[in-house]
Amino acid sequence: MAHPLLTVEDVSKTYDGFKAISNLNFYLFEGELRTVIGPNGAGKSTFFDLLTGRTQPDKGKIEFGTDPADSHDLTKLDEVAINRLGIGRKFQAPSVYAEHTVRENIILSLRGARGVFASLFHRLNSTDTDRIDELLKLIRLDAKGEWKAGLLAHGEKQWLEIGMLLAQEPRVLLVDEPAAGMTDEETHRTGELLLSLAGKHSLVVVEHDMTFVKQIAANGRVTVLHQGALLCEGKFDDVQADQRVREVYLGRGKHGTR
Amino acid sequence: MRKTFIIFLAFLAGFVAAFAEAPQAIIARAAVAKSEKTQGEILTELMGNADESILPLLDAWRKDRLFLYENPGKPTAVVLLEGAKDAQGAQQATDIVTGKPLAVRLVADDLNAATHSANLRRIMKAVLDLTDLSSANPAKKLGAIAAIGQGQQIEKLPALEKRLVVETDPKAIKALREALALVRLRSPDHAVKLAALKELESLESLASTDFLKTVMKDAAAAKDEKLLAAARSALQAVERHRTVVDFGGTLFRSLSLGSILIIVALGLAITFGLMGVINMAHGEMIAIGAYTTYVVQNLFANGLALSPFGFSVGLPGLHAAGWWRESYFLFALPLSFLVAAGAGILLERGVIRFLYRRPLESLLATWGVSLLLQQLLRLTFGANNVQVGSPAYLSGNWIVGDVLLGWNRVFVIGFATLIVVGVWLVLTRTSVGLLIRSVTQNRSMAACMGVRTERVNMLTFALGSGLAGLAGAFLSQIGNVGPSLGQSYVVDSFMVVVVGGVGDLVGTVISGLGIGSFDQFTQQYSPTVAGALANVPFVGGALQNLAQDSAVFGKILVLCVIILFLQWRPSGLFAARSRSLD
Amino acid sequence: MSSSEKYAPPAPPSDTVAALLAFTVLAVLIMPTLDVFGVIDHFTLNLWGKYLCYALLALSVNLLWGGTGLLSLGQGLFFALGGYMHGMYLMRMIGDQGQYHKPIPDFLVFLGWTELPGFWKPFESFSFAMLMVFLLPGVIAGIFGWLAFRSRIKGVYFSILTQALTYAGALIFFRNNTLMGGNNGFTDFKYELGFSLREPATQRGLFIATAAALIGVVIFLRWLEGTKFGLVQRAIRDGENRTLFSGYATPAFKLFLFVLAALIAAIGGALYVPQVGIINPSDMTPEKSLEAIVWVAVGGRGTLLGPILGAVFVNLLKSYATRAIPDLWLILLGGLFLLVVLFLPGGLVSLPSKLRGLWQKTTSTPATAA
Repeated sequence: MAHPLLTVEDVSKTYDGFKAISNLNFYLFEGELRTVIGPNGAGKSTFFDLLTGRTQPDKGKIEFGTDPADSHDLTKLDEVAINRLGIGRKFQAPSVYAEHTVRENIILSLRGARGVFASLFHRLNSTDTDRIDELLKLIRLDAKGEWKAGLLAHGEKQWLEIGMLLAQEPRVLLVDEPAAGMTDEETHRTGELLLSLAGKHSLVVVEHDMTFVKQIAANGRVTVLHQGALLCEGKFDDVQADQRVREVYLGRGKHGTR
Repeated sequence: MRKTFIIFLAFLAGFVAAFAEAPQAIIARAAVAKSEKTQGEILTELMGNADESILPLLDAWRKDRLFLYENPGKPTAVVLLEGAKDAQGAQQATDIVTGKPLAVRLVADDLNAATHSANLRRIMKAVLDLTDLSSANPAKKLGAIAAIGQGQQIEKLPALEKRLVVETDPKAIKALREALALVRLRSPDHAVKLAALKELESLESLASTDFLKTVMKDAAAAKDEKLLAAARSALQAVERHRTVVDFGGTLFRSLSLGSILIIVALGLAITFGLMGVINMAHGEMIAIGAYTTYVVQNLFANGLALSPFGFSVGLPGLHAAGWWRESYFLFALPLSFLVAAGAGILLERGVIRFLYRRPLESLLATWGVSLLLQQLLRLTFGANNVQVGSPAYLSGNWIVGDVLLGWNRVFVIGFATLIVVGVWLVLTRTSVGLLIRSVTQNRSMAACMGVRTERVNMLTFALGSGLAGLAGAFLSQIGNVGPSLGQSYVVDSFMVVVVGGVGDLVGTVISGLGIGSFDQFTQQYSPTVAGALANVPFVGGALQNLAQDSAVFGKILVLCVIILFLQWRPSGLFAARSRSLD
Repeated sequence: MSSSEKYAPPAPPSDTVAALLAFTVLAVLIMPTLDVFGVIDHFTLNLWGKYLCYALLALSVNLLWGGTGLLSLGQGLFFALGGYMHGMYLMRMIGDQGQYHKPIPDFLVFLGWTELPGFWKPFESFSFAMLMVFLLPGVIAGIFGWLAFRSRIKGVYFSILTQALTYAGALIFFRNNTLMGGNNGFTDFKYELGFSLREPATQRGLFIATAAALIGVVIFLRWLEGTKFGLVQRAIRDGENRTLFSGYATPAFKLFLFVLAALIAAIGGALYVPQVGIINPSDMTPEKSLEAIVWVAVGGRGTLLGPILGAVFVNLLKSYATRAIPDLWLILLGGLFLLVVLFLPGGLVSLPSKLRGLWQKTTSTPATAA
């Protein structure tokens, strides 16, 4: 078996005595589309925070790279360095630059110049403009390229953020609740988009909407988090049939402390 | 040795004589004595006599108001002329020995005043100094003892020894021992000197440093190893003690400065913690509290005339007196709180509530308010500082182990403790406190649970501003009150809040004490480190120059340390954690 | 150039360009000419020179606040430092024509110095002084900014720390032992590059230099807005965390901007000193920096025109009010500021569109939040 691209082993994180993540193990392989589900407070957002350097684990190992000899310890890197390694994140609440136009949002995310002086003298070449147009078309915002992003509908913002993520051409996409606030049709299209990305990219998708999960997890694996720990992992049908998962979702319907 | 003994005996004899004969009689005897030398010898008998009648009589003598009345056939009487002059310019004459008026009235111009040479005046002064040794006023007594010690007046040695026998006040006893030892350092007798050094060493006398150094110098010059060693040992003991005392004093001043910082920053920390609003008008809330105290004080006294914007307003006074007048502060305290709290509510309702979620704008808006309030205060009370009389109980001090504890600083610490405990009780034991804490922790959740967050905002701002008012009332007691009173404290109180973090009383307390201590310790020790700083490459000279100005250096170092501290804890000691992206 | 045009902000640039052009003509050509022919007096021209220096300070504040969302309450420090560095040169140029007729500045004579302290010596060179005008503020901004931004100090915390920074500067310069003139600072300047500062022609030259510097800075800032850097800068203002997760090391961007802003303020300060004829530590007090914030707020932050307009308008008002109604000036200033913050967040430059909006009874665009 190949070495995983993302290795999370025995990771714990505590906030003020509250165990957000405890002894979590998680492996993501190159090209995989993994769906992560779990009730509120299961630790999904904290999990992403740990992967992207927004916060550091109390203990455990988080490594990136398929070559064990040449992998990066993500616990030692900050957001910027991790992003530059090729891990992109879409946030739960759509976070686009509201005062920038849709096109500028994409330009900002485009792979390439990131330094202070590089950005001072950076010019867009024709490949860049083509790529921008292509992305805008993909996320169906080509007609609204000059709109201020803040004026977009909620679903459109979600799409824009996915477009921004794609513009970065990351190896791993961390996608937090992409379907929230979308119509059924938009949701379905989002699912198709994500499925089409698998293989070329590796994806971790956190989602609540079970129809959506069923759609994107058709071929992949599902990880269930509960109270910061791994509850079970497997194919969608197996997970759905799992007694413990049913209990967690239906039985207690417990609300987290967030 | 023999000579000393004789001198000593002579003094002793003087004492015996002095106690046998009334001081008035001695003075009279001296006044009529023929030669200046005899006069001096007679006056010397008064040395160490504590009789209160000596001072006015010698004083009269020195000022040519002690007259000799040569009554034919009788011994010359020494008289004072008192009372109104009559048509002939004659006054009533009192014999100083009997204290009774003479039958005749005398004219000053007809009489000879008792003469006094410079030497005689010196002896009088010495007599008076020694009189103070027995003074009923402890401060005067201690001062006189110290003066003799510092002057190393060897001729007063017997007086000191005599006093030591009868003295009961432990402070005075210690002072006497110290003075005796200092004086004996000038003794020609080697053994006495060594004993004196031992005594100074055991007393850890801070006042002896310079004298010990002189002894060391002389001993080194005389190649007197034994004396040198003893003096060195004494000096080391004294220096050790000084280090301890300096440290204690600095610690105490740290505590009091920290308390002031806590008092002025507490209200700010509460509003910042709850609403994320840095109230730049906090300083003016402090000033409002101080002026409220000023007004109350004047109402208890003779009233107050104000002319805001050219309108004359006269406030009548109660003309209270005695303890009733001194008690004004008890009324001023709650009033300062209420007036400032009222101003705070106006500020919150009128300005800040439109700016929630825009922290930078609210900071700026409150600065605008601060300008307005400052000028309003200036126009109402005048641009100059006004005086709020601080009560007598703030001007004394205690000395504990050579560390001076000023009562005003003790008051500061006590006041801060009371306020912190009070606020803690309000926040943890009252329903208002519960509401405030719930909104601080989770505003939207609290709103969902039916808490009227708008009202809580108002209450919080009232509490924060009220505390600023209390701080003002308090600052009025230890300094002047002016329109920009608060300005001198705002930067410091911001620093306390930045370091303390938000939403935690403990953070403010620790941070206030920490900054206060850091400031005081830097000030205390910056002259010591100034030399070492010169070795810093490139900027050494500038640093050394700066370190010589310990107050400024302290403040600047505090700022540097705060910036470095924030490298480690960017949101202060007690950070409120948030999970949202921005 | 056309492709980079895509970064340009949505505001119509033609307005700014036209305004800039008009201003250039007015400031560089018309006002000095009017002065030569005595239509406006020297005092007026001098006063406007001062306003233009303030405009540079306002642009510095705006670059951080309006452009990046960093409210610095300490820009006055850099303005004053720039002024002091140039002032040191001007003090040396007094030569022995001071009160004491000694070859060293009067205040040093007063402090008992007979020889020039070492660090004063290189300031006889104009080019060294000009180098220091940039170097000292730049280095201080660099060190402070590096520490502040790497530890992610932002928002209100950043504001308060910058305030403390300028406060510390004032404390240092108030000391006599700093050997920078203490309380009184520097004054009684006589010559600039050999030209007498009392000559109207010299003052006219300084006015033109100030106007040219201002125009240069505006053009530079305008260019900056149009680059990808400008795009990132506005992205930091609107969502710094998002920018971090897009792989931009925002601390580096902010540090660059902070140093740049310090340099712009320093230019303003350096030009201010020979025209106003005095620099002292009161220019470093937090109040002065806050006043500059008022100019920007009143004029309109986030624009290039607004801060300039605000600096000139508020200072015109100040010149008038401190003479006519001295007691009420602070109330006026505080009240004006309060009204702008509460009711006109876009400042004076947003007034036309706001009025148009009211006129058309349509909903106005939402106010830009911090």
